Amino acid sequence: MKLLDCPINGTRPISEFVFGGEFRTMPDPGQCSDKAWADYVYNRNGAPGVKMEWWLHSPSGTWFIAERNTLTDEVLRSFLPGKEVAE
Amino acid sequence: MSTRLPQQAGEWIDREQPLRFSFEGREYAAFEGDTITSALWANGEKALGRSFKYHRPRGILSFANHDINVMVTDGVDTNIRGDVVKVRDGMQLHAVNTSGGVKKDRNRYLDAISALLPVGFYYKAFHTPRQLFPFWENIVRKAAGLGIVNFSFPRITKPKLHRFCNLLVVGAGPAGMAAALAAAEAGLQVFLVDENSELGGSLGYDHAAGSESRMLLADYLHRISNQPNITVFREAYAGAYYTDHLVPVVQSSGITKVRAGSVIVASGAFEQPPVFRNNDLPGVMLGSAAQRLIRRYAIRPFEQGVVLTANTYGYRVALDLIAAGVKILAVVDLRAGGESGNLHDQVAAHGIAIHRGSCVYEAKPAADKLSVAAAVICAYDEQTNSADTRNAFEIPCDGIAMSAGWAGASGLLYQAGTKMRYDDSVQQFIPDNLPEGVFAAGKVNGVFDLQARIDDGVRAAHLALRHLGKPAQDIRAPVHTGSSPSHPYPFVPHAKGKNFVDFDEDLSLKDFSNAAQEGFNNIELMKRFTTVGMGPSQGKHSNMNAIRILAKIRGLPVDKVGTTTSRPFFHPTPIGHLAGRSFHPHRQTAMHTWHKNTGAVFTAVGAWLRPAYYQTAGRSKAENIQQEVLAVRHHAGLIDSSTLGKIEICGPDAAVFLERFYTGSFASQPAGHSRYALLLDESGVIVDDGVVARLSPELFYATTSTANAAAVFREMQRWQQIWQLDIGLVNVTGAYAAMNLAGPQAQAILSKLCPLDLCDTGFPVGAVRETQIQGMAVRIIRVAFVANLAYEIHTSASDAQPLWQAITAAGSPLGLRPFGTEAQRLLRLEMGHLIVGHDTDGLTNPYEIGAEWAIKMEKDFFIGKRSLQIIQKKALKKRLVPFMLANPVSSEMPQECNLVIAGNEIAGRITSIAVSPSCSQTIGLAFVAPELGTPGTHFRIRTDSGAMVEAVVMTIPFISAKEES
Amino acid sequence: MPHRLLRFAFSKEHKEPAFFEQPACLKPSYDAVIIGGGGHGLAAAYYLAKDHGMTNIAVLEKGYLGGGNTGRNTTIVRSNYLTPEGVKFYDASVKLFQDLSEDLDINLFYSERGHFTLAHTESAMRTMRWRAEVNKHVGVESCVVGHEEITKACPQLDISCSGKAPIIGALYHAPGSIVRHDAVAWGYARGAKNLGVDIFQSTEVNGIDVKANKVVGVQTSRGYIATNQVLSAVAGFTPRICKMVDLPTPIIIQPLQACVTEPMKPWLDHILVSGSLHVYVSQSSRGELVMGAALDPYEMHSTRSSLEFVEGLSSHILDMFPFLSNVKIVRQWAGMADMTPDFAPIMGKTPIEGFYLDAGWGTWGFKATPISGKSMAATIANDRAPDLIHSFRLSRFEEFELTGEKGAASVGH
Repeated sequence: MKLLDCPINGTRPISEFVFGGEFRTMPDPGQCSDKAWADYVYNRNGAPGVKMEWWLHSPSGTWFIAERNTLTDEVLRSFLPGKEVAE
Repeated sequence: MSTRLPQQAGEWIDREQPLRFSFEGREYAAFEGDTITSALWANGEKALGRSFKYHRPRGILSFANHDINVMVTDGVDTNIRGDVVKVRDGMQLHAVNTSGGVKKDRNRYLDAISALLPVGFYYKAFHTPRQLFPFWENIVRKAAGLGIVNFSFPRITKPKLHRFCNLLVVGAGPAGMAAALAAAEAGLQVFLVDENSELGGSLGYDHAAGSESRMLLADYLHRISNQPNITVFREAYAGAYYTDHLVPVVQSSGITKVRAGSVIVASGAFEQPPVFRNNDLPGVMLGSAAQRLIRRYAIRPFEQGVVLTANTYGYRVALDLIAAGVKILAVVDLRAGGESGNLHDQVAAHGIAIHRGSCVYEAKPAADKLSVAAAVICAYDEQTNSADTRNAFEIPCDGIAMSAGWAGASGLLYQAGTKMRYDDSVQQFIPDNLPEGVFAAGKVNGVFDLQARIDDGVRAAHLALRHLGKPAQDIRAPVHTGSSPSHPYPFVPHAKGKNFVDFDEDLSLKDFSNAAQEGFNNIELMKRFTTVGMGPSQGKHSNMNAIRILAKIRGLPVDKVGTTTSRPFFHPTPIGHLAGRSFHPHRQTAMHTWHKNTGAVFTAVGAWLRPAYYQTAGRSKAENIQQEVLAVRHHAGLIDSSTLGKIEICGPDAAVFLERFYTGSFASQPAGHSRYALLLDESGVIVDDGVVARLSPELFYATTSTANAAAVFREMQRWQQIWQLDIGLVNVTGAYAAMNLAGPQAQAILSKLCPLDLCDTGFPVGAVRETQIQGMAVRIIRVAFVANLAYEIHTSASDAQPLWQAITAAGSPLGLRPFGTEAQRLLRLEMGHLIVGHDTDGLTNPYEIGAEWAIKMEKDFFIGKRSLQIIQKKALKKRLVPFMLANPVSSEMPQECNLVIAGNEIAGRITSIAVSPSCSQTIGLAFVAPELGTPGTHFRIRTDSGAMVEAVVMTIPFISAKEES
Repeated sequence: MPHRLLRFAFSKEHKEPAFFEQPACLKPSYDAVIIGGGGHGLAAAYYLAKDHGMTNIAVLEKGYLGGGNTGRNTTIVRSNYLTPEGVKFYDASVKLFQDLSEDLDINLFYSERGHFTLAHTESAMRTMRWRAEVNKHVGVESCVVGHEEITKACPQLDISCSGKAPIIGALYHAPGSIVRHDAVAWGYARGAKNLGVDIFQSTEVNGIDVKANKVVGVQTSRGYIATNQVLSAVAGFTPRICKMVDLPTPIIIQPLQACVTEPMKPWLDHILVSGSLHVYVSQSSRGELVMGAALDPYEMHSTRSSLEFVEGLSSHILDMFPFLSNVKIVRQWAGMADMTPDFAPIMGKTPIEGFYLDAGWGTWGFKATPISGKSMAATIANDRAPDLIHSFRLSRFEEFELTGEKGAASVGH
């Protein structure tokens, strides 16, 4: 079982986490076209690579963002939304 | 006839403990510690099993679980691997996959007609004419499989352990033991795992008639047992390598899931059979198998025989055989140059003929075809890989030991992601690029010299130390010198074939060239077409040879052919071990005991157990449900609704949060009132519904459906992370219990218990009050889900059962009954309410259920709003409508999910249907095409049997307040 | 004994023609290029040649034929879906499968075993009825059965599932079958080759050239191909191919795992699926139990195995068949499933002229092999998708017209 780093609870087995999908920025619903909205709702960046993803540490209810390589399954870093450390 | 030798130093049998068992109906003697195979071999039995496809007799090949020649059943369990499973007193064993026993297997005719069954034959026959295929299929299916499963075999639950160590060493041969000791002495906590019952690997059996190995082993065993940092797992195999150094260590007692800081794979190498005609006859075995028989079980492998070799190891085997009293008639060396040096000289000194540049052309069977009777020897050209039979001669013998090369036991390395390369100096795939924290040592790393293996183990230990941040030395990897331990192409073609490559699958040399000729000339395609390596031993004795054959056919270096992917498990692993104890947790509400004592029949709702109805003496399920419904309609009922999701949202931004989260309006909601809450996903699909009560300006109390409680709370948490509002979220689903007091007497009952003004103006529908009942703090919401007059009463879980009993006590004189989910479903249907997930599906939008009233499109934002703006522009495709059957049901009642049919097309589906005792009608909800949705419209429902039933669209509620009394 | 086997016995030489022969090099141009030498791509090539007379076709396979999900699935063929569009489509596939051994002259071991989708809850029973009713409407043989009938068909099954999740009933689908999956790809490859299609293994696509929104060529590891029509039939690699032409799709990749036991004498005649227990199981013609479970819970582009998968599956299979405790699992493996939001495929034309998509096959792709090949061949030949696959068009997402097979796929298979 894979291990994952929760920014609050440290390294835990993956069974304690729930995958929340790709982290995407919502277009302004008041401004964007129907097509742009549909793109936001349905389309995903499905190609392999390093992506920002939502993960939930379920026992503690901690949602965070993990930067993960979906090809190698390596997690580069994880952080709370808005608490991203400047690189 | 017994071939048991005098006591061998370090033997694995206990001669003080004799035992008896039977095989194929005959009784045999053995010793404690014997495996099934060793016990039979000691008794002179050689035909121990029949092969999978051709039913050829089989004996010992690897004697190390690298083949499945010996698979037996004890009448209870099946596919027992005789080579490694210990025999027990009183066992009654039979070989699997025979018809009439091993010696007289009636299916042995298949061997004679094997020419009819070439590789892939089943792709080419039986399919025309199509009508006859089931006939042929039936025959093929009957021939398939090995053992017969015993349907009354008990379920075995094995515990699973989780353990952690700094370093896991897989394999306790010289390299593994040296690695474990070096790491442990440097302070690491080491787990040392070996599949055998004794440590030592080849040190325990590969002696070349000398005693140094034995002395060295004794020293290692002493040091290991005195090293507190080493934990030894005997008779344990590392099943697989999984991400982040997770290795399940499998023992007969169960699986230990080891999470290691680093892993050293020192799993050694599988000896590979050279390929010549009848190389599978009982008596023809690998050299290492012969050595194991001698040293571990004190058995003389055969009386007189031949050693076929292509490496130095064969000479070691010859010396061990001689020491065990075997008369070696010849050593046959495939290599034109043969062997030189000390070992060769020692063998020669025994006066044994050594034929270099020669091969065993074929093994000849005894008259009964159950064992080897002679070896035919002739010249062999290594360049053309052909035998020259002009001067062939025959040596009568009862055994042939084969040592021509090895394949690394690299499964775990592959699974960990190791890049391998083919090394010409050892003619073996060895690790080229190892993943972080994983190391290889010993034969699996291409290191064969004994001292070099020990050094390699120490080297790997230091790499592991460095990986773990400990001081470590740089130790140079040993370089192989001298002749290769493996022959690059140990194959002897024979016109009559039966020169086996894969013993599990009965694949011979020609099968591979035929497969290649048919275009399956990629290693993966070849594997799939021939099934090489797909049998129970997973290619341990066959994959390497298959790769060599393909490389030769294609004229490519072995490296270019590559290997097939290695998958878990290293050895096949019992389902019961993997399953472990198998937990199926349930959740019970605070009132569970009361329900149980009152005859509740429970139903699982997600993880929760809820009363479906309460069984009363002498009544059927349907009657009980009907009584519960009538009680609620005419008197009062009480249902445990604790399983609802319950969430508190508090803080200055609480209303803002709810406005964004749900479709409705909450900013304007006064304290003391509750509102319907509908949740959509971002595509506008209905996810959940519930009620949000405002307890104070900054405190809201929301309920969700039982099924979605966790998911809704999770989504709230996620959106809060995005919105970063000034709120707090508390999931009180488990902390609070809830019950719904419903029916015309509900007000009267409640008024006995609390001082609230309960009249319609003082406590109207939708109002919420916080008060106390008999000292217990409660939140009461006036709802109208199952009845026009109903109170949902929430309290802490600890107060729930006393409160429930208090209400029951107060209500009983007024006709109150507890009711369950069955009655609830009917009651809410009479009220015309839908249930999300029951009356909606994964694509239902609010317009389709007529929930426009709950959607506040004038809000700036709510989840799903932007999608609704798109959906709004589209024509409605279906609509949920209430209906009633036009005529009383005479025979077949329509069921939920029966279809609405218009003309010949599907025009909808029933989502809910029930006979309403209150309105004496069959009522329901259905999705119908919009044009069928107007009240009064008739539509037709098709029942299971195909009958058409007429229905008419109604308005809700189906019952009016006057019907409740 | 079929006479063909006698021929093997009495001929000294192995005269079987090669299934596949790879041309020495690519032609500079092809009328159409099919990316992906799995079942779907090869079937499309076969039907392009056979039905439409288009033979100047190249099939490009990065690895070996049938090495992707064609060779990694659990070989189940069925058509008991939920939406009328889905049922019709898969039914057409089942019908092609029934004739396929004869059509391709290869014994695919197409074996009609009957398929039970077990229901452990009332709500699952409702879904079974929904599927049965839609199936019947479209003419597909499915019905709801009670637990007595399941016990009759499979007496070894513990109907109470160790008391943990008693089986109430099932959806029974008589045409449910298992097939030798690899052979499907081989048969189509040979068929296509014999009709003149060029098939290239170990050939990777590195880029697709698009000019003025029109496909003009394909860059490969063997050189450049000029072409105006490209079909992507690459399942788990779809997002990579679509990225080459900047085509957004809703597809994400999740691993789907499976495992197989050692062979035992046949006892399980039917195919059993349990949504609640996340198990599907059948016994192959070799005697192995072939078993699978739900998708892995997160996106990943790899075929690694996990312990938790095989632990969970083992626990659930023992609930159904407690006597399997000492039966051993020999091997586990994984495929990359290209999942869509509505669990229905994405087929047909795309906004890029000449770029066709055969994707979104998630856990349901193998059973659609023949019909997807036939439909995509028609799409390429006519530059128009046949009505049968209209509801699977890519544009359904931006049109908010999803297909809704999610309810049928309670467990992937």
